[in-house]
Amino acid sequence: MTAYPEALARAYAVALRDYARGGGEAALLRAYQAGRDTLTEGLGVLELAAVHQRGLVEMLGDLAPGDHARAARSAAEFFAEALAPFEMSQRDLRGRLEEHERLEHLKNEFLSIVSHELRTPITSIHGSLNLAVEGLFGELPGEARHFLEIAYQNSQRVVRLLDELLDVERIERLEFGRDTQPIELAPLLESAVEANQAYAERFDARIALAGEAPSVKVLGDPDRLLQVLANLLCNAARFSPRDGTVVLRAEQQPGLVRVSVSDRGPGISEEFRPRVFERFAQGDPPPSGHREGSGLGLSICKAIVERLGGRIGFETEVGRGTTFHFELPEWSEEAAKGGGAETRWPSRP
Amino acid sequence: MAVPTLSRVLLVEDDPDIRALTGFALRSVGGFELEECASGADACVRAKLFRPEIVLLDLMMPGMDGWATLRAMRAMPETARTPVVFITAKVQTHEVESYRRSGVSDVIVKPFEPAALPDLLRSIWRRIHGEADREPA
Repeated sequence: MTAYPEALARAYAVALRDYARGGGEAALLRAYQAGRDTLTEGLGVLELAAVHQRGLVEMLGDLAPGDHARAARSAAEFFAEALAPFEMSQRDLRGRLEEHERLEHLKNEFLSIVSHELRTPITSIHGSLNLAVEGLFGELPGEARHFLEIAYQNSQRVVRLLDELLDVERIERLEFGRDTQPIELAPLLESAVEANQAYAERFDARIALAGEAPSVKVLGDPDRLLQVLANLLCNAARFSPRDGTVVLRAEQQPGLVRVSVSDRGPGISEEFRPRVFERFAQGDPPPSGHREGSGLGLSICKAIVERLGGRIGFETEVGRGTTFHFELPEWSEEAAKGGGAETRWPSRP
Repeated sequence: MAVPTLSRVLLVEDDPDIRALTGFALRSVGGFELEECASGADACVRAKLFRPEIVLLDLMMPGMDGWATLRAMRAMPETARTPVVFITAKVQTHEVESYRRSGVSDVIVKPFEPAALPDLLRSIWRRIHGEADREPA
């Protein structure tokens, strides 16, 4: 408490004593004003109550025992009056919170409707382009095929953007991490490599699993973990030099498993590093010059990993490459039976 | 027991563009015998005559939606046990399992790749029959 609110609290205690001694409305008004001032000066309601208590005890000491009941009644009346500004301020705060929640709900609903409504026309566009590039309307002239493939790839990009927008909405509704189950990590990593190899090839890169993944289980939602891996692997492939290798690695550490994805790309600039996991944040474009993401992918990865009780980070060196890593608590039957020991993360330097 | 060949597919989709390209893929790529309907009510009428082996049913339709159509089909002896696959833009991964528990064979999420749809439908068909084979007598 600063000296000024303390002085205001004293003024409040004096006003209380005056009121109890028959000071009437003028004392009440002073108490009310003192209450407002303590509020604007940041004095909490509990501190104010403590001051009231102090004032009351002091006052009772000055009075004859026969006057105690009357004094206590006056004090209660006084206290209710003096707390009125707090009550009003709380009501105002509650109102603003409710309004904020209503707007958040509207925003999420809007996001959900827009994302779903856009899917219907996108299904037609994406589907027609899919049939054309698959050659179902016959062999296309070279340039027509080239441009249709561009359109098709971009329709896939729109679909990804819609998916990411929906993911953000689900994160806000706390819908991630509900369907967790113990998962063997090694097959999941192998699936991630296989599923994203074709994407990496588009950037003349390849994905390799370093050594043998440890035989360890984590508690998670397999689809969501594959989503995190896909995001990190695809980002790394986009930023890899030609013929570069993206390395996926898993290491078992006491009580946890650390998964990392390394590339030999240009690294992340110092200015952008603090914003890497922010929504819609985008750093320098990849070497191809084509941005593919919405800037939501890494913020979604962070939300998923944290919802699963883990944490995510990165190390980067400009001109040398970047390693993104995430750590998840190791799952074991014994820990699950014991209610699961909470993972204690070592503090970061 | 060998899995029977899938040939008769009933497609129920209110969006004419999606219906056209899905129908094209199922006929031209898949070689299925196809009946197309624009509404759940129409699908219930035509299913009695067409006797589909599988129904591809859009979930979000005006009037009688996918769930109402599914209930109506389950109440008809001709389609009471016909596998139904939902097509929908409004599904989340964790919801697919609850859809299956509600009597839906599978869910295809929009947008999908029409060229790959026949293979996807056949793999669902094989899975359904694999599960049926494992059911106790």
